[in-house]
Amino acid sequence: MLNRKLKRRQISGSYFVALETCQLLMRVISAARWNNTNQLIEQIRQLGKTLINAQPREFTCGNIIRRVLAIIRDEVYETTENENMTPMISSMFSLLSTNVEKKEPIAPPVPTNPRIHHNKNHDLRSIIIQGIRDLIDEISNIDDGIEAMSVDLIHDNEILLTPTPDSKTVLKFLLKARQKRKFTVLVTECFPNRTSIAHSFAKELSDAKIDTVVIPDSHVFAVMSRVGKVIVGARSVFANGGTVSSAGVAAVAECAKEHKTPVFSVAGLYKLSPTYPFDVENLIEVGNSGKVINFSESNLVQHADITNPLFDYIPPEHIDIYITNMYVFIHPFPVVFWAKFY
Amino acid sequence: MGDTEFDIKSSYLKFLEEDPEITMPIAAIESLVTLLKVKQPSTSSELIKLTQSATDTLKQSIPNAISLSAGCDLFMRFVLRNTHLYQDYESCKRHLVENGQLFLERSKDSRNKIAAFGARFITDDDIILVHSFSRTVFTLLNHAVEKKIRFRVIVTEARPTFQGEIMAKMLREQGVPVNLIVDSAVGYVIHKVDKILVGAEGVAESGGIINHVGTYQIGVLAKSANKPFYVVSESHKFVRMFPLAPDDIPTDQNSLQFTTNDEEIGNNSPQIDFTPHEFITALITDLGVLTPSAVSEELIKMWYD
Repeated sequence: MLNRKLKRRQISGSYFVALETCQLLMRVISAARWNNTNQLIEQIRQLGKTLINAQPREFTCGNIIRRVLAIIRDEVYETTENENMTPMISSMFSLLSTNVEKKEPIAPPVPTNPRIHHNKNHDLRSIIIQGIRDLIDEISNIDDGIEAMSVDLIHDNEILLTPTPDSKTVLKFLLKARQKRKFTVLVTECFPNRTSIAHSFAKELSDAKIDTVVIPDSHVFAVMSRVGKVIVGARSVFANGGTVSSAGVAAVAECAKEHKTPVFSVAGLYKLSPTYPFDVENLIEVGNSGKVINFSESNLVQHADITNPLFDYIPPEHIDIYITNMYVFIHPFPVVFWAKFY
Repeated sequence: MGDTEFDIKSSYLKFLEEDPEITMPIAAIESLVTLLKVKQPSTSSELIKLTQSATDTLKQSIPNAISLSAGCDLFMRFVLRNTHLYQDYESCKRHLVENGQLFLERSKDSRNKIAAFGARFITDDDIILVHSFSRTVFTLLNHAVEKKIRFRVIVTEARPTFQGEIMAKMLREQGVPVNLIVDSAVGYVIHKVDKILVGAEGVAESGGIINHVGTYQIGVLAKSANKPFYVVSESHKFVRMFPLAPDDIPTDQNSLQFTTNDEEIGNNSPQIDFTPHEFITALITDLGVLTPSAVSEELIKMWYD
């Protein structure tokens, strides 16, 4: 179901995809039958594969699956640890340590007493489902964590610029900061895909008595010298710190770099992906070119190539701080820091 | 205690010579294992002392001991950790000695693992710049060939060892079009190159690498031309070392030896150099694709857990 929805893009936006994936996993796990945990993990992995193939650019889906797998593995570890399992040693060590003989005699008992496991199945199921519930809680309350930091990060009378008016997180971030601070926000117009969203974003900000200015995308460099901070809502963040966001953001980040303006990337933890962006060009989706120039202008459309990329990849060196609901990272941070969630 | 005299250095060199597929750290581990096999220490403190002294001799007697010391340190750490882990000394020793061969296979496995990770970096029509000869880089490129990716490679000749010629020959045998250039031509070709792959003799804690001389300048050029610079290395080459400049590498090469005599390029031309982490885009290792800062994290995990 979700598979088809993803393919048809009936759900898009990482937030909804994340929630839907959680719901689906919950249903799968409550219906699934398994004799040992390896089977369960295998089942979920398969499911993950189909979902990721359905929409390879929707990374949150894979992230959620990985986190649920991590929950399961954690649980399995805890239960088997009582049966005297040596804790995993550092991965670098594995060159030497995987042949620790001790492991050999321990491995067999796990499959030989499936009966004990059988009784545990029920337990495990409810524990996993509880884990997913917590995850859903975390995702739906993600903005609270990020909001809380906004007052510390925004100064009075500061000029901010955001090139991603479609991000709910950025909106809430700014609204929360307004409760204590007075500042100006510049919003880029985001032609052609998100212009109307940009307008309603600006409206919402000005309703909250924030000084708001909508500027054309081409104006970013000119105003950058006066901007104090750039706030970017991320679609996904990769292991190297590279970020995928709406089209136009990469240019804004480049301008910010030129003026040494700090760039904040705001993202929920579920958007942080442990994968590495091998092929940057393939991350970017191309949308309807009719939005750039109307098809009725056939004279031009016939003779020119018109493209409308929907996303941008921002290299890690263009982002200064990553703000998530749990931590604030600075740029050359090790991926291992968040790898523990997966 | 065994009566046989055992020369750790010659054993190390023998291992390297016998199997061209083996890396220096693995050869070091192998020779330490052989040492234990021959000497048969009877208590754990004796075992530790023996390993320690052999490690020291080995590090001192081999001129370029960086990646070798990574292997020794790894083994030492393993010994120390396991003597704590096992209550029973005999089983610990048996395990160390018996699995010598396994280490070797594992290290080869890890190279294949790297190749599988790294081949994803290579796409059709790429032009890749490779410096000197590295088994891991070769395995990676070979893996890409097997995946039917069409790419071309520019190989530097890598003076003074001319190891680039070996690399070029091996790649051509696999059907990869190769252009062998002199080291000084890197600046000329850098704008035509899509990415740069280099191996490493050792990876320092900062994420910088110690490698065949010339790597540093390629890193600087790559940075200024905005080309991705990837290091391909096994994780057993991570060394606990924090060099800040090329001078901090513990070798006896001295580039400040001047003479007015007519002299050929000799011992005073450096053989290895240090490339700081800021020039490295990512490290492709058997632990996955790491940012340079993740190296220290891995080392900390191993030494301070």
